[in-house]
Amino acid sequence: MSTRRQAITLYRNLLREAEKLPSYNFRMYAARKIRDTFRANRTINDFEEIDRQVANAKQNLDLIRRQVIIGHLYTADKLVIEHKKTLRPDC
Amino acid sequence: MSLTQIARSCGRLAVAMKTVRVASAVGQTQLRMLHRIAMPAVSTQLCQKSCVENKITQRNYSAKSTIEDIKCRVLKVVSSYDKDSRCSWQTQLVRKYSAKPPLSLKLINERVLLVLKLYDKIDPSKLNVDSHFINDLGLDSLDHVEVIMAMEDEFGFEIPDSDAEKLLKPADIIKYVADKEDVYE
Repeated sequence: MSTRRQAITLYRNLLREAEKLPSYNFRMYAARKIRDTFRANRTINDFEEIDRQVANAKQNLDLIRRQVIIGHLYTADKLVIEHKKTLRPDC
Repeated sequence: MSLTQIARSCGRLAVAMKTVRVASAVGQTQLRMLHRIAMPAVSTQLCQKSCVENKITQRNYSAKSTIEDIKCRVLKVVSSYDKDSRCSWQTQLVRKYSAKPPLSLKLINERVLLVLKLYDKIDPSKLNVDSHFINDLGLDSLDHVEVIMAMEDEFGFEIPDSDAEKLLKPADIIKYVADKEDVYE
Protein backbone atom coordinates (compact mmCIF):
# COMPACT_ATOMS: atom_id res chain seq x y z
CA MET A 1 0.00 0.00 0.00
CA SER A 2 1.20 3.45 -0.82
CA THR A 3 1.31 6.22 1.69
CA ARG A 4 1.08 9.94 1.35
CA ARG A 5 4.75 10.32 2.14
CA GLN A 6 5.69 7.86 -0.61
CA ALA A 7 3.66 9.81 -3.12
CA ILE A 8 5.33 13.08 -2.12
CA THR A 9 8.78 11.54 -2.34
CA LEU A 10 7.92 10.16 -5.74
CA TYR A 11 6.70 13.59 -6.90
CA ARG A 12 9.91 15.20 -5.72
CA ASN A 13 12.13 12.56 -7.31
CA LEU A 14 10.27 12.82 -10.59
CA LEU A 15 10.62 16.61 -10.69
CA ARG A 16 14.31 16.44 -9.74
CA GLU A 17 15.01 13.86 -12.39
CA ALA A 18 13.02 15.71 -15.03
CA GLU A 19 15.17 18.81 -14.47
CA LYS A 20 18.20 16.87 -15.65
CA LEU A 21 16.83 16.16 -19.12
CA PRO A 22 19.16 17.93 -21.55
CA SER A 23 16.60 18.67 -24.24
CA TYR A 24 14.54 21.77 -23.49
CA ASN A 25 11.33 20.39 -24.97
CA PHE A 26 11.49 17.09 -23.11
CA ARG A 27 12.41 18.83 -19.87
CA MET A 28 9.52 21.28 -20.00
CA TYR A 29 7.07 18.63 -21.11
CA ALA A 30 8.10 16.25 -18.33
CA ALA A 31 7.79 18.93 -15.64
CA ARG A 32 4.34 19.99 -16.90
CA LYS A 33 3.12 16.43 -17.27
CA ILE A 34 4.27 15.42 -13.78
CA ARG A 35 2.60 18.45 -12.14
CA ASP A 36 -0.63 18.08 -14.06
CA THR A 37 -0.93 14.35 -13.52
CA PHE A 38 -0.34 14.57 -9.78
CA ARG A 39 -2.89 17.40 -9.52
CA ALA A 40 -5.41 15.48 -11.61
CA ASN A 41 -5.06 12.35 -9.46
CA ARG A 42 -5.08 14.02 -6.05
CA THR A 43 -8.72 13.17 -5.35
CA ILE A 44 -8.46 9.42 -5.99
CA ASN A 45 -9.74 7.45 -2.99
CA ASP A 46 -9.59 3.90 -4.35
CA PHE A 47 -6.48 2.18 -2.93
CA GLU A 48 -6.03 -0.13 -5.89
CA GLU A 49 -6.17 2.78 -8.27
CA ILE A 50 -3.62 4.68 -6.17
CA ASP A 51 -1.27 1.71 -6.23
CA ARG A 52 -1.67 1.47 -9.98
CA GLN A 53 -0.85 5.15 -10.41
CA VAL A 54 2.17 4.91 -8.10
CA ALA A 55 3.47 1.93 -10.07
CA ASN A 56 2.98 3.94 -13.24
CA ALA A 57 4.90 6.85 -11.75
CA LYS A 58 7.78 4.56 -10.77
CA GLN A 59 7.90 3.18 -14.26
CA ASN A 60 8.00 6.70 -15.66
CA LEU A 61 10.74 7.66 -13.20
CA ASP A 62 12.88 4.85 -14.58
CA LEU A 63 12.04 6.00 -18.09
CA ILE A 64 13.13 9.56 -17.33
CA ARG A 65 16.38 8.30 -15.77
CA ARG A 66 17.12 6.30 -18.90
CA GLN A 67 16.30 9.22 -21.13
CA VAL A 68 18.56 11.53 -19.12
CA ILE A 69 21.50 9.21 -19.76
CA ILE A 70 20.66 8.73 -23.43
CA GLY A 71 20.08 12.45 -23.86
CA HIS A 72 23.52 13.21 -22.45
CA LEU A 73 25.09 10.73 -24.82
CA TYR A 74 23.54 12.44 -27.83
CA THR A 75 23.33 16.12 -26.97
CA ALA A 76 22.13 18.74 -29.38
CA ASP A 77 22.70 22.51 -29.37
CA LYS A 78 20.68 24.57 -26.96
CA LEU A 79 17.62 26.33 -28.25
CA VAL A 80 17.62 30.12 -28.65
CA ILE A 81 15.18 30.57 -25.76
CA GLU A 82 17.56 28.84 -23.37
CA HIS A 83 20.22 31.56 -23.69
CA LYS A 84 18.55 34.04 -21.44
CA LYS A 85 19.69 36.00 -18.44
CA THR A 86 18.49 35.13 -15.00
CA LEU A 87 15.22 36.60 -13.82
CA ARG A 88 16.69 37.70 -10.54
CA PRO A 89 17.12 41.50 -10.45
CA ASP A 90 20.30 41.57 -8.36
CA CYS A 91 22.35 39.39 -10.73
CA MET B 1 38.20 -6.72 -93.71
CA SER B 2 34.86 -6.07 -92.14
CA LEU B 3 34.27 -3.47 -89.49
CA THR B 4 33.93 -6.07 -86.75
CA GLN B 5 37.28 -7.62 -87.64
CA ILE B 6 38.94 -4.24 -87.43
CA ALA B 7 37.38 -3.62 -84.09
CA ARG B 8 38.56 -7.00 -82.77
CA SER B 9 42.11 -6.51 -83.91
CA CYS B 10 42.13 -3.07 -82.36
CA GLY B 11 40.93 -4.58 -79.11
CA ARG B 12 43.70 -7.21 -79.16
CA LEU B 13 46.26 -4.55 -79.84
CA ALA B 14 44.98 -2.51 -76.94
CA VAL B 15 45.18 -5.50 -74.60
CA ALA B 16 48.72 -6.26 -75.75
CA MET B 17 49.72 -2.65 -75.21
CA LYS B 18 48.24 -2.70 -71.73
CA THR B 19 50.27 -5.73 -70.68
CA VAL B 20 53.40 -4.07 -71.99
CA ARG B 21 52.59 -0.95 -70.04
CA VAL B 22 51.91 -2.91 -66.89
CA ALA B 23 55.20 -4.73 -67.25
CA SER B 24 57.09 -1.50 -67.73
CA ALA B 25 55.29 0.05 -64.78
CA VAL B 26 56.36 -2.86 -62.56
CA GLY B 27 59.90 -2.44 -63.76
CA GLN B 28 59.78 1.27 -63.00
CA THR B 29 58.44 0.78 -59.50
CA GLN B 30 61.15 -1.76 -58.78
CA LEU B 31 63.70 0.68 -60.07
CA ARG B 32 62.19 3.41 -57.95
CA MET B 33 62.32 1.21 -54.87
CA LEU B 34 65.93 0.39 -55.54
CA HIS B 35 66.60 4.07 -55.90
CA ARG B 36 64.96 4.72 -52.55
CA ILE B 37 66.96 2.03 -50.85
CA ALA B 38 70.15 3.25 -52.41
CA MET B 39 69.58 6.95 -51.68
CA PRO B 40 69.70 7.12 -47.88
CA ALA B 41 73.20 5.65 -47.70
CA VAL B 42 74.47 8.24 -50.14
CA SER B 43 72.54 11.07 -48.53
CA THR B 44 73.73 10.20 -45.00
CA GLN B 45 77.28 10.23 -46.20
CA LEU B 46 76.72 13.58 -47.81
CA CYS B 47 75.04 14.84 -44.67
CA GLN B 48 77.89 13.75 -42.45
CA LYS B 49 80.35 15.48 -44.69
CA SER B 50 78.38 18.71 -44.67
CA CYS B 51 77.93 18.54 -40.91
CA VAL B 52 81.62 18.20 -40.35
CA GLU B 53 82.21 21.15 -42.63
CA ASN B 54 79.60 23.17 -40.77
CA LYS B 55 81.20 22.39 -37.44
CA ILE B 56 84.50 23.52 -38.69
CA THR B 57 83.05 26.77 -40.02
CA GLN B 58 81.17 27.37 -36.76
CA ARG B 59 84.26 26.84 -34.73
CA ASN B 60 86.08 29.23 -36.94
CA TYR B 61 83.25 31.73 -36.54
CA SER B 62 83.15 31.46 -32.76
CA ALA B 63 86.88 31.76 -32.55
CA LYS B 64 86.82 34.89 -34.67
CA SER B 65 83.79 36.56 -33.03
CA THR B 66 84.45 39.24 -30.42
CA ILE B 67 83.12 39.32 -26.89
CA GLU B 68 80.53 41.88 -27.99
CA ASP B 69 79.08 39.46 -30.50
CA ILE B 70 78.82 36.69 -27.94
CA LYS B 71 77.18 38.98 -25.43
CA CYS B 72 74.65 40.08 -28.01
CA ARG B 73 73.79 36.52 -28.94
CA VAL B 74 73.48 35.34 -25.36
CA LEU B 75 71.21 38.28 -24.49
CA LYS B 76 68.99 37.50 -27.46
CA VAL B 77 68.63 33.87 -26.41
CA VAL B 78 67.96 34.79 -22.79
CA SER B 79 65.33 37.39 -23.68
CA SER B 80 63.47 34.97 -25.96
CA TYR B 81 63.60 32.33 -23.22
CA ASP B 82 62.18 34.86 -20.80
CA LYS B 83 59.25 35.57 -23.09
CA ASP B 84 58.32 31.90 -23.30
CA SER B 85 58.80 31.20 -19.64
CA ARG B 86 56.85 34.28 -18.57
CA CYS B 87 53.70 33.01 -20.28
CA SER B 88 53.92 29.60 -18.64
CA TRP B 89 54.58 31.26 -15.29
CA GLN B 90 51.42 33.30 -15.54
CA THR B 91 49.18 30.33 -16.17
CA GLN B 92 50.68 28.59 -13.19
CA LEU B 93 50.66 31.53 -10.84
CA VAL B 94 47.18 32.96 -11.26
CA ARG B 95 44.77 31.14 -9.03
CA LYS B 96 41.14 31.98 -8.62
CA TYR B 97 39.34 31.51 -5.37
CA SER B 98 35.62 31.67 -5.01
CA ALA B 99 33.18 31.22 -2.20
CA LYS B 100 29.58 31.94 -1.45
CA PRO B 101 28.88 35.48 -0.29
CA PRO B 102 28.72 35.63 3.50
CA LEU B 103 25.16 35.08 4.72
CA SER B 104 23.44 36.91 7.49
CA LEU B 105 20.01 36.29 8.97
CA LYS B 106 18.68 39.39 7.25
CA LEU B 107 20.02 38.28 3.89
CA ILE B 108 18.56 34.79 4.29
CA ASN B 109 15.25 36.37 5.22
CA GLU B 110 15.25 38.53 2.09
CA ARG B 111 16.20 35.68 -0.19
CA VAL B 112 13.57 33.31 1.20
CA LEU B 113 10.85 35.91 0.85
CA LEU B 114 11.99 36.81 -2.68
CA VAL B 115 11.80 33.17 -3.78
CA LEU B 116 8.34 32.86 -2.26
CA LYS B 117 7.17 36.08 -3.92
CA LEU B 118 8.32 34.81 -7.29
CA TYR B 119 6.42 31.54 -6.83
CA ASP B 120 3.27 31.99 -8.87
CA LYS B 121 0.78 30.36 -6.52
CA ILE B 122 1.59 32.55 -3.53
CA ASP B 123 -0.12 35.91 -3.21
CA PRO B 124 2.68 38.38 -2.32
CA SER B 125 0.29 40.62 -0.37
CA LYS B 126 -0.61 37.79 2.04
CA LEU B 127 2.98 36.71 2.44
CA ASN B 128 4.46 37.12 5.89
CA VAL B 129 7.38 35.52 7.71
CA ASP B 130 4.94 33.71 10.02
CA SER B 131 2.26 32.77 7.50
CA HIS B 132 1.56 29.05 7.28
CA PHE B 133 2.02 27.68 3.74
CA ILE B 134 -0.96 25.34 3.79
CA ASN B 135 -3.37 27.07 6.16
CA ASP B 136 -2.71 30.76 5.36
CA LEU B 137 -1.33 30.78 1.83
CA GLY B 138 -3.58 28.05 0.45
CA LEU B 139 -0.89 25.75 -0.91
CA ASP B 140 -1.30 21.98 -1.02
CA SER B 141 1.36 19.39 -0.17
CA LEU B 142 2.56 19.21 -3.79
CA ASP B 143 3.08 22.99 -3.86
CA HIS B 144 4.92 22.69 -0.60
CA VAL B 145 7.30 20.20 -2.19
CA GLU B 146 7.93 22.65 -5.00
CA VAL B 147 8.59 25.48 -2.56
CA ILE B 148 11.16 23.35 -0.74
CA MET B 149 12.77 22.47 -4.06
CA ALA B 150 13.01 26.14 -4.93
CA MET B 151 14.72 26.75 -1.57
CA GLU B 152 17.19 23.96 -2.31
CA ASP B 153 18.03 25.60 -5.63
CA GLU B 154 18.37 29.02 -4.00
CA PHE B 155 20.71 27.99 -1.20
CA GLY B 156 22.47 25.15 -2.99
CA PHE B 157 22.00 22.25 -0.59
CA GLU B 158 19.55 19.41 -0.37
CA ILE B 159 16.81 19.29 2.23
CA PRO B 160 15.83 15.71 3.13
CA ASP B 161 12.15 14.79 3.14
CA SER B 162 12.03 14.28 6.90
CA ASP B 163 13.18 17.88 7.44
CA ALA B 164 11.11 19.28 4.59
CA GLU B 165 7.89 18.12 6.28
CA LYS B 166 8.56 20.36 9.27
CA LEU B 167 9.28 23.51 7.29
CA LEU B 168 5.76 24.86 7.12
CA LYS B 169 6.44 28.58 7.55
CA PRO B 170 8.97 30.95 5.97
CA ALA B 171 10.36 31.49 9.47
CA ASP B 172 11.05 27.74 9.76
CA ILE B 173 12.93 27.78 6.47
CA ILE B 174 15.00 30.79 7.53
CA LYS B 175 15.91 29.10 10.79
CA TYR B 176 16.74 25.82 9.07
CA VAL B 177 18.99 27.49 6.48
CA ALA B 178 20.73 29.54 9.16
CA ASP B 179 21.41 26.41 11.21
CA LYS B 180 22.69 24.57 8.16
CA GLU B 181 25.03 27.38 7.13
CA ASP B 182 26.14 28.21 10.68
CA VAL B 183 24.76 31.73 10.63
CA TYR B 184 23.80 33.15 14.02
CA GLU B 185 23.51 36.88 13.51
